[in-house]
Amino acid sequence: MTGAADIAGLPAGLPKRPASRGLASPLLVGLGLALACAAPLGLNGYALYLLTLAGIFALVALGLNLLTGYAGQISLCHAAFFGVGAYATALLTTKAGLPYLVSLPLGALLTTAIGAAAAVPALRLKNLYLAIATLGFGVVLQKIIFEWRDLTGGGGGLALSAPTIAGYELGATGLYYLTLAFVILGLWGAWNVSRGRTGRALRIIKESEIAAASLGIHIARYKVTAFALSAFYAALAGGLFAYLVRYINPESFNVGLSIAFLSMVVIGGLGTIGGSIVGAAFYVIVPELLRGIKDAPGLVFGLLLVVVMVFMPQGLWGMARRLVWKR
Amino acid sequence: MTRLAIENVSVDFGGVHALKDVSFSFEAGSIVGLIGPNGAGKSTLLNCISGITRPTTGRVRLGETVLSTRNAADIAGQGIGRVFQHPELVLDLTARDNLLIACHRSLDYGLLSELLMLPGVWRREREAAQRVADVLRRLGIADSADTEVRSLPYGHRKLIDLGRALLMDIGFLLLDEPIAGLNDPEIAHLTALLLELRQEFGFGILVVEHNMPFVSRLCERLVVLDLGQLIADGLPAEVLSDARVISSYLGEAADA
Amino acid sequence: MIANLVVGGLAAGCLYAMVGIAIVIVLNITDIANFAQGEMAMLTTFFAYWLLDDLGLAWWQAVSIAAVFGLVQGIVVQQIVIRPLIGSPVLSAIIATLGLNVVLNSLAGLIWGHQTYTFPSPFTFLAPFQVAGVPVPVASVVNIAVSLAIIAGMTLFLRLTWTGLGMRAASQNQTVARLMGVSITKSSAIAWALGGLVGGIAGILVAPSVFLDTNLMAGLLIKAFAGGVLGGLNSLVGVFLGCLALGVSENLASAYLSPSFADAITFIVIIAVLIVRPEGIFGRVKVRKA
Repeated sequence: MTGAADIAGLPAGLPKRPASRGLASPLLVGLGLALACAAPLGLNGYALYLLTLAGIFALVALGLNLLTGYAGQISLCHAAFFGVGAYATALLTTKAGLPYLVSLPLGALLTTAIGAAAAVPALRLKNLYLAIATLGFGVVLQKIIFEWRDLTGGGGGLALSAPTIAGYELGATGLYYLTLAFVILGLWGAWNVSRGRTGRALRIIKESEIAAASLGIHIARYKVTAFALSAFYAALAGGLFAYLVRYINPESFNVGLSIAFLSMVVIGGLGTIGGSIVGAAFYVIVPELLRGIKDAPGLVFGLLLVVVMVFMPQGLWGMARRLVWKR
Repeated sequence: MTRLAIENVSVDFGGVHALKDVSFSFEAGSIVGLIGPNGAGKSTLLNCISGITRPTTGRVRLGETVLSTRNAADIAGQGIGRVFQHPELVLDLTARDNLLIACHRSLDYGLLSELLMLPGVWRREREAAQRVADVLRRLGIADSADTEVRSLPYGHRKLIDLGRALLMDIGFLLLDEPIAGLNDPEIAHLTALLLELRQEFGFGILVVEHNMPFVSRLCERLVVLDLGQLIADGLPAEVLSDARVISSYLGEAADA
Repeated sequence: MIANLVVGGLAAGCLYAMVGIAIVIVLNITDIANFAQGEMAMLTTFFAYWLLDDLGLAWWQAVSIAAVFGLVQGIVVQQIVIRPLIGSPVLSAIIATLGLNVVLNSLAGLIWGHQTYTFPSPFTFLAPFQVAGVPVPVASVVNIAVSLAIIAGMTLFLRLTWTGLGMRAASQNQTVARLMGVSITKSSAIAWALGGLVGGIAGILVAPSVFLDTNLMAGLLIKAFAGGVLGGLNSLVGVFLGCLALGVSENLASAYLSPSFADAITFIVIIAVLIVRPEGIFGRVKVRKA
């Protein structure tokens, strides 16, 4: 019996794609993509800035989701990776004179090595102790940036001029599209990992390290991979961030920001890729809606974190997914 | 025939002697039962073989290769499969995806290729998916393939756990209380299945169980542990009528 | 000179220790690290300030009432946030308390704004004690005395009272404790109440030295955890000693190396301790029968 599956060359009875009961149908993704591409046409400068920022945070969240959502490793130092990436890109561009498009990935790669180092405590520690260790690691990195005044400008920070690509200055719209391109690449990479053996390995490590080992999975190797990959994402985002805000100082890359990144992933939906985007967007939009009352954004965001953990631990995206599939 | 050898293994947990100088060996293709009262050290012995616990003295050998100096993941790579007392599966994933995890070693593509989902990766994933489909059919749970494990009954989860070991190209299978929590039809199904699989794949089985009828029907040989020591090793009929074995289970009252 | 630094370090360490003790009480009984401990203490301190400033109460009265406020705050948090999370993965509770941290900080900001207030203390203007020629502020002596009193009181409570015994049982094995008639939620509530109480007292004693604003406890929380890790998070005495050691080494490092690097060194030491001996110097490895 010749069925469509046979014609496509697939053995019958196999799913057409690796099973992913996600919410992102091709229609939804296409629509989102179209809107994202058209955005600069309809938005003013400030709104475009916010959207770019949301994209940058989404990139961090995508990486952090792989580490915390899939592998179950808590990290309170991702703001430090973000910051190191920002400084690395900035310094490679200004002091080493490299083109922006080279210093971005290069700075990210350099940060990845540091990210791999952060995995060392994770090999022995879990939960609270890992949280404290990563918190400490992040603070140390922040201090190093602060103290290395000759290189980084210390507490005074670094002021940056607009980045150029092949001689053309990258304005707000250009930076937005660059960010969008990286977000799309980042999304695709994360999606592939989730469907591939690394994603599966991370998940079984989260569930039970003993089961993982008995299936031949080298736990240490994968924890390092998860930390390194998530650091890469954060650092790349940092490199984009540096040139969005054009002024960076060590003070901004603090524990509070690490907590913010974690909250993006959690509120969006821990362990879901769509959740990273939703969470990041939320983090950028909510304070905007509450502008004027100084502590209101913090209050709302903190409340959301608590509410999500207590009532819908699967996050906004996870809840939407569950509602849709319940039909 | 490859031989799995436990040689003078002792395990000392800071004062608690879980195993005392245990030695025995068995070949691929044979089915050995490991029995003994609670606390005898059976799980500890399985842990020593699969690398979760390192013996304080003694060693475990697979053929000529020493296993006891390696880590658990390496030992699994040598072809030692382990099925735990309580299946530890990723509840959010489907049965199919959980089984795919076990294909880990055969999917030896690099991270960069995976990030880019290169054609080679995609091809290997499809091959793995095929093997998974075969195993699902073999275990009789093909219908549950795309259901989240969270919604599957206990019996199915145990079968998936077994399926994971099968996908690993094993030479030896370690089973820790495989029929605990199963009803009679499920037990019969599992017994028949294990015998079939042994016939087809030729791996050796070491099974820890308390259920004597199951153990007698399945195993060609029984090894008995009591308080960390090996007290009997032989044919089921002999072992089960051995006075020391009976008294270790029932206590001194059996002396009447 | 060194003596002065050591005394100063001990005084600072005491402040960390009090926050640390509050954390350890909750952590040991309910297995949850309260990342909002500092902010809860800060809120209690602001409440005390309101009693002192707006209502014009005497110091001792305000402190007593604020202590009760801290106690109640602990119970409220436990009932609303923690109880629903019993049984959830540990990550959830950590994130929930992090969220609570932000909520309480914002709440305090909304009510009292972000300016700095001076918090009075009856000990500030007393002449310092002289110990071997080194002046020791009365406030520091009070802090040490209070910390020791709290440790002693908690230890006696946990060892000698039925409730305390029940709480210790609950922290070891919930199922068995339940079978023995111990109410897990009641133990949890009492632990959080005590944590809130001790934290509040800590904040009130800290405020006079570092001035009262919404960031009062932020830095202290991290140091308290760090000192706790050093000494052993499952031991009250361990936290106390660990935090004192931390205070002293920070002070010395700050004077002889660099203030900013003193902080970094703190964390490097902490990470090293976590890798080599996670249970801390005085801690015991907690073995749990599943």
